[in-house]
Amino acid sequence: MSGIIKVENLSFGYTPEITILKDMSFEVQPRTFLAIAGPNGAGKSTLLNLLCGTLVPKSGTIRIDASPVESYSTEALAGKVAVVRQEFVPVFGFSVIETVMMARTPYYGPMGFESKADKKIVAEALEMTDTIQFASRPLGSLSGGERQRVFIARALAQDTAILLLDEPTSFLDLKHQVGIYDLLKTTQLEKGKTIVAVTHDINLAAQYCDETLLLGGPRSCLPFGGRQNRIRADSNYLIGKTKDVFSPEQIEKVFGVRIFAGRVGQEKFFIPLGKFAKDSRQISNKPDGSE
Amino acid sequence: MALVALAVVMFVCSLIGTESVSLKAVFSGAGTQAAVNPDYQIFVQFRLPRIFLACLVGAALACSGVVFQALLRNPLADPYILGISSGAGLGVIIAVISGLDWMLWGRSPIAVFAFAGALGTVWLVWFIGRLTGKFHVTGLLLAGVVVNALFSAIIMFLTSIAKSQQVYATIFWLMGNMTEADFLVLWIGVGCVIGGILALFYISPQLNALSFGEDDARSMGVNIARTRTIAFAIAAAITAVAVSLSGLIGFVGLVIPHGVRLVFGPDHRQLLPLSGIVGAIFLVVADTVARIIVAPAQLPVGVVTAIVGGPFFLVLLVKYSRKVSWLK
Repeated sequence: MSGIIKVENLSFGYTPEITILKDMSFEVQPRTFLAIAGPNGAGKSTLLNLLCGTLVPKSGTIRIDASPVESYSTEALAGKVAVVRQEFVPVFGFSVIETVMMARTPYYGPMGFESKADKKIVAEALEMTDTIQFASRPLGSLSGGERQRVFIARALAQDTAILLLDEPTSFLDLKHQVGIYDLLKTTQLEKGKTIVAVTHDINLAAQYCDETLLLGGPRSCLPFGGRQNRIRADSNYLIGKTKDVFSPEQIEKVFGVRIFAGRVGQEKFFIPLGKFAKDSRQISNKPDGSE
Repeated sequence: MALVALAVVMFVCSLIGTESVSLKAVFSGAGTQAAVNPDYQIFVQFRLPRIFLACLVGAALACSGVVFQALLRNPLADPYILGISSGAGLGVIIAVISGLDWMLWGRSPIAVFAFAGALGTVWLVWFIGRLTGKFHVTGLLLAGVVVNALFSAIIMFLTSIAKSQQVYATIFWLMGNMTEADFLVLWIGVGCVIGGILALFYISPQLNALSFGEDDARSMGVNIARTRTIAFAIAAAITAVAVSLSGLIGFVGLVIPHGVRLVFGPDHRQLLPLSGIVGAIFLVVADTVARIIVAPAQLPVGVVTAIVGGPFFLVLLVKYSRKVSWLK
């Protein structure tokens, strides 16, 4: 079975001199939950914007359902890929239900109004994200976590096979972080969606995501060996099963911090150790830390 | 509903004026060459065109205010923000100063100059805005502000070297007035504005999505470039029509969209037609006030819109702001 997202020899840079993403090739199978992780400036959001057609590759191709991204019209692509970006609250006070209904814009009738089918899809999305209780409130009156659920509802109402998210849990407290990931995992399992999420939270990614793409960044030096995934030896990204990609060594190398790695039952977790961490020598999993 | 309200307001306002007009007399017809029916003449030749003009201008300004606020994602935007006002003003003062007394199809060329100045300036601002990057909203706004300031300075310079009678004509135009209404020009204007508003209504779902930013709108399947160009061109065109027929009437394009939004919500499919109707009602009333308040003289209607509209809007603002989030 071939991937629903297929990236071939992708390179991209915002200026001709600097290449952020270099010669990447990978596939994402349908119904996978993929995390994109890596340090600031490594090109995580850039890659997301390439996947949804906002940016155009310098070279290489990205295929969605076997066709190159640029071959889709805006409307057609919106039927394949939905995107949840980092929070943007409009200046005008749209209500929750109006916001979610906007996902149906390409399907409105000739007079610009929604059909029964549109209303049903929106109601389902509101139900699933548990936002139906405040459907008539304006966006600005919601908390950050509630608002993020609304934007996820809007993406679900687009009724696409692929869902892309850019740091869906930044600004959220622990409960809401877990809530968002639970919701995403549920849509993956129940609706069979392919989910790609950019994230800084490696612990949540380790818990929820089947696969992880770890970006090293242009300055990161660190050629990843091709052991797991037949990746060329000089590439600076790594993709594979999350449990293989997230090893303490790799995380330390990519993020440039010391890491304490632990395990509770089945779940691995990673704690970054700063200069002032108490007893950091003793608890470090690598006493000869690589400062 | 709203259209009925507009019709009622138009009817009532057509009866109010310095000369009282009896409808019965109006319906008795134009009268004969020898005995002209004064009621008919006042009503049909002066009042009606003026009321239609007020409707047209009010609707055009309110709708283009809605569109500019959505496109620029800025609640302070109004139809004049990208230089239409100063461009039109510049066109007018050039026409006045150069002593143009030729006639264009029997009409004064001032409106033509205003129209050309308005559209030329918008095009210039749009062009400069594009140079700043891929339709950068901030770049466009700044270009608009700077061009506005520059042209205002040129207008002031030209005013200072002009003869006093020319200055008076220009200033009267700048303050906005409804006096010059010729049937043919009026019907052309009505056609343009109604057509423009219908086209804007057609893209109003896309304007909704654009309020969330261009990237979001694109990923929801909205063709950004097309929507933006259509909305921008039509809003600029109907504003230019309104401005060239009535001069600079401030306030309608800023306040009516906000007032309607406060009461009826931000969905453009509703906001746009309602703003058009409310803008028309508002300007018809304001113009009626301008006609009668210092009779037999007449106030520039722009003065009335600000004096009447300002406090009214503030009341709305305070009353509804607790329910609405964009003020927080």
